[in-house]
Amino acid sequence: MFAQNETKPPPDMKTIDPQWAWSPYQPDTRRPWNLARAGHLYRRAAFGADWNQLQRTLDEGPRRTIERLLAPQADVAAFNQQFDRYETSSAASNSTDALRPWWLMRMMQSPHPLLEKMTLFWHGHFALSGAKVKNTRLMSRYVQQLRGEALGRFDSMLTALSHDPAVLLDRDAGANRKSKPCEHAPRELMAGTCLGNGNFSEKDIQEAARAFTGWFVLKGQVRFIPREYDSDAKQILGERGNFNDTDVVRLLLKQPATPRLLVRKLYRLLISETDEPSDAIVEPLAQSFAAEYDIAALVGLMLRSNLFFSPVAYRRRIKSPVEFTLGIVKGLEATVPAVRLGRDLADLGQNLYEPPTSAGWPGGRHWINPATSLARANLAFALLSPKKPYEGKLDPMAVAQKHGHQTGEAAERFLLDLFLQGDVETTVREAVLKHKRSEPSQELRRTAHIIVSLPEFQLA
Amino acid sequence: MSRVPIAILCVILSLSTWQTAQSAAPVPPAARWIPQNALIAIDISNPKALIDLAFNPQIIAKVKSVPAYKQITSKPDVQQLFGLFKFLEASLGTDWPTALKKSTGGGITLAACPDDISLIIIDAQDGKMLARLHKMFLNIAKDDAKKKGQPNRVRSAVYRDVTGWTFNGKETHALIGNRLIFANKSKGLINMLDLRADGGAKSLYALPAYQAAKKASSTGTIASAFVNMGVLKHVPPITKVLANNQNPLATLLFGGVTEALQDSNWLALGLGIKGNTLSLHATVDGKTDDPNGAASFAFPDMLDKGALPNLVVPRRIAAMSIWRDLRAFYAAKDDFFPERTSALIFFENMMGIFFSGRDLTEDVLAETHPQVRIVVAEQTFAHGTPPTKLPAFAAVFQLRNPEKFALVAEEAWQKAIGLINFTRGQQAQAGMIIRQPTHNGTTYTMAYFLPGEKDAEMQIYHNFRPSLATIGNSLILSSTDELAEDLIDSLKKQRNLPPKALPSTNSVVELDTTALASILAANRDILIRNNIVEKGNTPQKATFEIDLLLTIIQNLGRMNLSLENRHSLNYATLQWTLN
Repeated sequence: MFAQNETKPPPDMKTIDPQWAWSPYQPDTRRPWNLARAGHLYRRAAFGADWNQLQRTLDEGPRRTIERLLAPQADVAAFNQQFDRYETSSAASNSTDALRPWWLMRMMQSPHPLLEKMTLFWHGHFALSGAKVKNTRLMSRYVQQLRGEALGRFDSMLTALSHDPAVLLDRDAGANRKSKPCEHAPRELMAGTCLGNGNFSEKDIQEAARAFTGWFVLKGQVRFIPREYDSDAKQILGERGNFNDTDVVRLLLKQPATPRLLVRKLYRLLISETDEPSDAIVEPLAQSFAAEYDIAALVGLMLRSNLFFSPVAYRRRIKSPVEFTLGIVKGLEATVPAVRLGRDLADLGQNLYEPPTSAGWPGGRHWINPATSLARANLAFALLSPKKPYEGKLDPMAVAQKHGHQTGEAAERFLLDLFLQGDVETTVREAVLKHKRSEPSQELRRTAHIIVSLPEFQLA
Repeated sequence: MSRVPIAILCVILSLSTWQTAQSAAPVPPAARWIPQNALIAIDISNPKALIDLAFNPQIIAKVKSVPAYKQITSKPDVQQLFGLFKFLEASLGTDWPTALKKSTGGGITLAACPDDISLIIIDAQDGKMLARLHKMFLNIAKDDAKKKGQPNRVRSAVYRDVTGWTFNGKETHALIGNRLIFANKSKGLINMLDLRADGGAKSLYALPAYQAAKKASSTGTIASAFVNMGVLKHVPPITKVLANNQNPLATLLFGGVTEALQDSNWLALGLGIKGNTLSLHATVDGKTDDPNGAASFAFPDMLDKGALPNLVVPRRIAAMSIWRDLRAFYAAKDDFFPERTSALIFFENMMGIFFSGRDLTEDVLAETHPQVRIVVAEQTFAHGTPPTKLPAFAAVFQLRNPEKFALVAEEAWQKAIGLINFTRGQQAQAGMIIRQPTHNGTTYTMAYFLPGEKDAEMQIYHNFRPSLATIGNSLILSSTDELAEDLIDSLKKQRNLPPKALPSTNSVVELDTTALASILAANRDILIRNNIVEKGNTPQKATFEIDLLLTIIQNLGRMNLSLENRHSLNYATLQWTLN
């Protein structure tokens, strides 16, 4: 459906004209605004869509939909305040196990799913381990910080997180004395967060570590103790001065490598993780991003682009376990027990608040192997089962009937449109629809399970 | 009418049949028509008493006053069901309770058999309208089947000269003389008809275990139940439950119960009603009175010995009084828990530290008498309320040598507080301060966390102000000073009139659901939050479910459960007084 009248992605990314790539997509007869593109937009800029959202998106067109995804009309602040309260109360339990379900519920119910998606992205970028921080309140506050700037400004986020107690504890910088500066924090900052390997020296790390001295985490609060601060001059990234932590952040943001690294990372999230973009594709975005570090502007530009709605991006990413399961849940217009879901997602390799390394989740092909494929199918089966552990919260037949598809076959076709926008090979479609029907409601659950277990559904 | 599920019609039919006057000849006991392999059989010999209780105007008024009642009854399906009830009342010319009493007055028997087969046998009292009622339901079922394009769903067949019917292709039923028999599967109906034809020689009635259970449960009851433990304990999930568990606390609390069930062939239950109090008596034939048996720690060695009556304190939620010989229990730990787990090793190490190297079995637990009382009560807070309000709880031990052992316990307790403070300090968390206040002439020891300056600074740990007190030969170990002081008052009152032990009783549990509802209501927001994430409900639905639960608990009243061992039989009695 999507690729109708279109060519396959060019084998060499260098042949793509950056001007064309980042210009806003305008639907035309060759590249029409259709269900496949609407579904693609919701997979990338949200956690999937229900039928009404897809229909509304078709009516509104890409421009208005993207505006709505970036800044919805709903009272997002009130929603997030309510969930912040829930989360804060649960944080008293002193285990991130208590926080995980609330974040998943937020993802399921948020009127601003793109914000949650970006918060999850930044959680992978500024990856902390709850097991290492050992303070649920601090982990909760850290994710709230990420959410606060997830579509805001990267420079503000970086400044805030460089003093975040959870970040400092995770980076072994809970007591940063001038006699023994902590190098872990500046190393992560330079290698993983801002510059990337090859863009700094070991000396830069040692000098930056001196700039970060004096900061302590005491009783869950960050405190600056002047006598522990190394006030001597430092040489960092080619500049010399009496730099402190704020100066290091400023120096990092000045480096051209920082916006490039972030644009490439967002490219993997929003455009494609299969083809590495050329410098020519990255550079215009990196330059404009460096001006104000406005995340929403960068995300908006990518989402509106020709490249986003082209075969270069369509189904060119493997869904993370969170995206996979929430795609099913959102499509079937329900919420499911989040405590159990959190545990099942951890089994699939995406344990929220516990990324595997400081580099976050590697993603891509790492998500899929024979074991996780089977586990995904099993989780989908449990989600779609009428009984425990998910209490039968997902009811494909009820959703199909709600949207006017009363008979078994019509309901099955509806599910193909809902989950895959009908964009599957004819042979696959026939295979999905070709089986005996017993009790319609039960049979439709089985069909839904087959559909969400297809390779196409694993792709974003 | 057509939207009312046909299964509901079937159940209503099974509860609403009348018997023709000419078929009033005596019928054999229902158990003669139930197969011997039935796992559970319930015999409601006096349904009228239950119907009177269910339709008690006070209870109905209470149910209607629940906010959720309106919400539930406004649903279209429920409204339709009410419409059906009204239609039936109009058609029968009587109100629903009267109709139920007349239709079931001869007794109701229910049975659960292997292969998920359920049986219901109803003996009606007044049968004049039986044929009319059956025809009415038959017509409704036929109309429904026709509308759904399945006219063959309602059908009949003759087996052993009896016409059996099905209204939905699954359930089956038949009318035989005074009796309606109903099965959820046709195989169940066939079994009943075979037993009827054979005179019930291989029926449940012919089983000696059934007769023994019937004898044990029938006196003064309106309903009794037989549980075929001989079969049931071999069902894998039950076997697993009855298998030796590795939880020491559960073994201590349920000592003797699991052993009795493991050894039993039957479990008999008898239900009685007096005013607004329901009494449920349970008896098992399993033997647990071997003085050398593993469970002997839980049974008084003399008939006149037993647990003490429960202690009474203000705001009490629950209380439990047990007879448990802790020394004997711990001495038998290798029989209960052959594996020396890391948890057990840790426990023994810690006890060695707290009790300064004394032998836990002979130098510590042997100092306590088997009479142990536990109390759970709602607590009040002088400065703010913690985010989660927990109840206070305490255990009262009877010491054999209080003069000698009270100080040993005090030393151990202070070491434990010191260890907690040290461990919390390692994690940069607040510690406790120990002091010795005097209450009602008794000086006791308590430890407390400094209160937060603001309400927002109250933490879960502010629920705990651990206290230790000794009154005469009673040692109080309490989670709060408030409960410790209430227990001091309670025990002082008993000094002049010491309570008498409850003979042969090894456990008495009391629960006041009004107090329980009070503390749950104090934690309503937390319960709602847990419901949202545990069940995946929206905040609105979670709020509805929790409020309904709180209302139900608030109105459940008081419950009292006691366990006894007399003449080689184990008895349990549950008394439930409705609010």
